[in-house]
Amino acid sequence: MSNPILDIKDLRVRFKTEDGFVPTVNGVTFHVNEGETLAIVGESGSGKSVTSLAVMGILPPNGEVYDGEMTFRERDLLKISKKEYRALRGNEISMIFQEPMTALNPVFTIGYQLRETLILHQQLTKEAAHKKGIEMLELVGIPDAEKVMSRFPHQLSGGMRQRVMIAMALSCNPKLLIADEPTTALDVTIQAQILTLMKNLKEKSNTSILIITHDLGVVAEVADRVIVMYAGEVVEEAPVFELFENPKHPYTHGLMASIPKIHDVVENLYSIEGTVPNPTNMPKGCKFHPRCPLADKDCMTIHPELEYINSTHAKRCIKV
Amino acid sequence: MEVVKEKIEIEEKVIMKVRNLKKHFEITKGYIKKQSSTVRAVDGLNFDVYEGETLGIVGESGCGKSTTGQLILGLLDATEGNIYFDSKDIAQMSQEELRKARRDLQVIFQDPYSSLNPRMTVEEIIGEPLVVHKIASGEQLRKEVLELIKLVGLGEHQLKRYPHEFSGGQRQRIGIARALALRPKVIVCDEAVSALDVSIQAQILNLLKKLQKELDLTYIFIAHGLPAVRHISTRIGVMYLGRMVELADRDELFVKPLHPYTHALLDSVPIPDPKLRKTHQLIEGEIPNPSNPPSGCHFHPRCSFATERCKQESPEYREILPRHFVACHHPLH
Repeated sequence: MSNPILDIKDLRVRFKTEDGFVPTVNGVTFHVNEGETLAIVGESGSGKSVTSLAVMGILPPNGEVYDGEMTFRERDLLKISKKEYRALRGNEISMIFQEPMTALNPVFTIGYQLRETLILHQQLTKEAAHKKGIEMLELVGIPDAEKVMSRFPHQLSGGMRQRVMIAMALSCNPKLLIADEPTTALDVTIQAQILTLMKNLKEKSNTSILIITHDLGVVAEVADRVIVMYAGEVVEEAPVFELFENPKHPYTHGLMASIPKIHDVVENLYSIEGTVPNPTNMPKGCKFHPRCPLADKDCMTIHPELEYINSTHAKRCIKV
Repeated sequence: MEVVKEKIEIEEKVIMKVRNLKKHFEITKGYIKKQSSTVRAVDGLNFDVYEGETLGIVGESGCGKSTTGQLILGLLDATEGNIYFDSKDIAQMSQEELRKARRDLQVIFQDPYSSLNPRMTVEEIIGEPLVVHKIASGEQLRKEVLELIKLVGLGEHQLKRYPHEFSGGQRQRIGIARALALRPKVIVCDEAVSALDVSIQAQILNLLKKLQKELDLTYIFIAHGLPAVRHISTRIGVMYLGRMVELADRDELFVKPLHPYTHALLDSVPIPDPKLRKTHQLIEGEIPNPSNPPSGCHFHPRCSFATERCKQESPEYREILPRHFVACHHPLH
């Protein structure tokens, strides 16, 4: 079909702690095609955010990629210099975070921060950057863009701040936009506005989007393809329609059954027993087996491979 | 089905009545040139809570839903209006009556990380209300605590541990056990499942439902997550900028919302099924600042049905269908 612009193979990330190295991403493989929206779904501790930080090259100081390959538009992200990486970030890959208040600098105006990106990456003059900045704010639906340029982040509402973040992230026409829980901190009516905005912008610019979320509603709304992560591994990968219609892995199944549906009320929700395992003490065999209704003896010893059941649908389970 | 419904109506007993409840906060700004303004966090609420039901209260940031919960719990004093619990006005109660009422009204908070004392063991946390109210001590206390921890699905071996040794879902269970210690009648759940992962959220929602049945509890379930509220509630009230805009039986509200805000709010919720992907009926604009709400109907600047009357006149909150309250000049349907 189309070319992958981001190709991740067997990515492994670990964190150095007082108790030694703690692996949090354990052999993750996926790719993002041009113009495609890929969603990574998982609960806390699944390694979904760490994966995105690794791609951006902004892991915290105690984290490191210790194995695997990351290729972005034929460049090896693990080999390029810090300087090259910095040129890539903001220019070709940008990121929006969950809490725009912490991602924006509180002591500079919106205008200053927007111009900075454009002057640095696109070598625009200050005047041209200012004009482009206003254009970008208008593009993301901010009324009174001219005025907003001279405001400080705390003077804007959460939804407006997230729009500013998106404007900033898109200002250099990135090839890939990584959105880590972009609407989680927002109210639901504002979330609907931001998701609609993201969909419209993607149609216009053909940017690839990697969206990280725990909300299957958001996934169903924006994704083309989905990978489900559990305990630092991909447990299922499928196109969005296929995944919702025909989930294979018991964890995906459980996740879908455990969300309360707004149109279909049941007396008792299905619930996955137990809790997400601690990365310092991972279960042997299949990492999901202690919580899995289908688990048997084999699951306790055999660590299943990610196996393709057709060209696009993969699952990591020996039972289904 | 019909018969069952009638039976419920006969048995419905009002356990709490809220009348014209208001909470205004004075905000002063500036040091040399003082300016003060009033935030009308809660601005005239009227509703009843029936015994044994779950009344869901939903709304977006700044709508006053959490303030309402704190007023009901007596954690804040009302500026105006009354809360009647078991037919008695809470504000008029004597010290002794108030102490009794506080036992009957308990709370489960959103964040199970900050609501549990990190220096106390689980046993001490769950037992504390019983000690404070001098209900149990010694062997009796131990027995009660053990019963409580089993009730919420944890084990005896976990009693000597500290909160940091537990996951978010388990901590929320500890918070629930503590809330149950005094055998309350009403529990205010303030965003009780909002911080939890979906698989854990399902466990806690199921637990809350089970406990309600076993212990005849009444819940006031305050949350912004509509799917969870729909799952657990009997009736649902929708708040916007300090006012209740609509209140109805759960299914009625979802099937036949009468207020344009409710309609748009429900429409904004992403549905976890890609086949139902749709264009949302977006509400324009932002939630206004509660210190300076729009005139007339607070929702009029964002409402596509607004008329001149909506700008001038605040709509009355009234029962326009049986058990279905709405505050709108031009209700839908």
